[in-house]
Amino acid sequence: MNTTTKQPSVDKALPVTPAIISSSVDEGHRTKSAPFGHALIEEARRRPEIVGMSADLAKYTDIHIFAQAYPDRFYQMGMSEQLMATAAGGLAKEGFIPFATTYATFAARRCYDFISQAVAEQDANVKFVGGLPGLTTGYGPSHQATDDLAIFRAMPNLTVLDPCDALDVEQMVPAVAEHKGPVYMRVLRGQVPLVLDEYNYRFELGKAALLRGGRDVLIISTGFMTMRALDAAKELQKDSVDVAVLHVPTVKPLDEVTILREASRSGRLVVVAENHTVIGGLGEAVAGCLMRGGVSCAFRQIGLPDQFLDAGTLPVLQDRYGISRKAVVDRIRCWL
Amino acid sequence: MDHSPLLHNSELAERAYRVRRNAIVMAEVQGQGYIAQALGVADVLSVAYFHAMNVRPDQPDWEDRDRFLLSVGHYGIAHYAVLTEAGYLPEAELVTYGCDDSRLPMSGMTSYTPGAEMSGGSIGLGLPMAVGMGLGLKRKKSKSFVYILMGDGEMAEGPTWEAAISAAHYQLDNIIALVDFNKVQADGPSTSIMSTEPLVQKFEAFGFFVQRVNGNDLAALVAAFDAAREHPDPKPRIIICDTKMGSGVDFLEAKEKNHFIRLEAEDWKRAYAALDARTVA
Repeated sequence: MNTTTKQPSVDKALPVTPAIISSSVDEGHRTKSAPFGHALIEEARRRPEIVGMSADLAKYTDIHIFAQAYPDRFYQMGMSEQLMATAAGGLAKEGFIPFATTYATFAARRCYDFISQAVAEQDANVKFVGGLPGLTTGYGPSHQATDDLAIFRAMPNLTVLDPCDALDVEQMVPAVAEHKGPVYMRVLRGQVPLVLDEYNYRFELGKAALLRGGRDVLIISTGFMTMRALDAAKELQKDSVDVAVLHVPTVKPLDEVTILREASRSGRLVVVAENHTVIGGLGEAVAGCLMRGGVSCAFRQIGLPDQFLDAGTLPVLQDRYGISRKAVVDRIRCWL
Repeated sequence: MDHSPLLHNSELAERAYRVRRNAIVMAEVQGQGYIAQALGVADVLSVAYFHAMNVRPDQPDWEDRDRFLLSVGHYGIAHYAVLTEAGYLPEAELVTYGCDDSRLPMSGMTSYTPGAEMSGGSIGLGLPMAVGMGLGLKRKKSKSFVYILMGDGEMAEGPTWEAAISAAHYQLDNIIALVDFNKVQADGPSTSIMSTEPLVQKFEAFGFFVQRVNGNDLAALVAAFDAAREHPDPKPRIIICDTKMGSGVDFLEAKEKNHFIRLEAEDWKRAYAALDARTVA
């Protein structure tokens, strides 16, 4: 917590992990490098109206490889996120499809009015791409986008996406380019886990996807928590706990039909899992959907607590705040 | 207005008179509003629309048009006045200003009004938006200009300066920024609320071709707009227009608190008379 001054800590064994890493690769996972950048290059080949923008974070959002491939189609806007968001609206007015990247914290917190009024209200065809979603950095609250989904869910006319893995990211890019209208997309960068190719999965904008069935528990998850959910399901299988996983990459508009259909299948514990504060994200969106739909079920949330999170190393922090593979398994066991 | 016929100042004065009259018609509907700004900026807008800009009012989305961005959304009343005079809107629609389901909302928005290129109102969006459009027009190898109207209070908004830096960096010589320097903002005189002077030197230091003119002098405005369009350097352009709030209606010019004016019904009649008297004189 940040309300008290930290005490010095010199005696503890210090785990050495880079503080800034943006994807959470667990042991045994395959990875793919820079799926967003590669997919954007591919899509830009088909669509000459695509342009790239960044506010001095091209390298850290994987759009730098697009900039290398198409130097005359990339606009470096410097450390001016508000300018970037609004200028993206201007480029869209002239018929271009800007993909504008920064960290998710800066997109959500710093640019809100600019995205709301210069883009969403004017229905400008801009795609915002936010790096370091949720708890994917140990830098502390300035960089931990624990609240971006809540912030952007409240914005009319904006589509909100949270991809699980490299496959999800690379399939989102053409779908996002095809979609006419403003989009906010979280992105995982660098060496990004590759998981969903084992599940015969294909990203469809606005659709949830049932990745596995199960009689005892239904995990409804978004972002990389779907990867954690799938891992947890395998682990719990060993205890004969049968876990279904419904992946919801489109947080808004929510696929209420599929969520209601799956949640109303009787007898299962429903757990919503997200790499985001428990306030205002997928958990509360699903809860509202179930209440409105008249579905009552045992309901639990796995997400980040409503607080400014600690700085530190990622494995420790993800464990501390309950979104590591082990933490997910432990909590579901407790609830059964 | 296609390929901008160069109107004589007397014709421009006639246009500016009707723009002011249109604004009073709208303000009278509500009995209140941003009439002093509309009267003050009427000459600037008249020179923009009837001398400088290349537009087709019957074809608001014509690709080769010059763009006009209204950053100060509350100047909607001034913008509708000139759009009506230019033929984008029928005169009969003026009396719907600010009413439910009108195409003329109090704060200008792009989805409401033909000829409105952006939704303003959240002050500080204009110059960043102009940068994006300027970049887009350059990509398309278009010769169109982006005109952008800001207020002097807007000079205190951070994004204005983020945009100024980038406009110079990208050599956006297709941007012609206009500042309506009327010395008044919501809480009082802009010089004491937050002084942004010396504005000329600031924009020069930011890499702009800067002119400062009397914004109620049609001849000076014509010269400044011409110079802005024809300036040879690859720099963004800005014209700081010193205007008088309420210009053309003596008792409104003299009013001390004039950011948002409420008048009785008979005073609106006086406003027409005052405008006519000034114009005849």
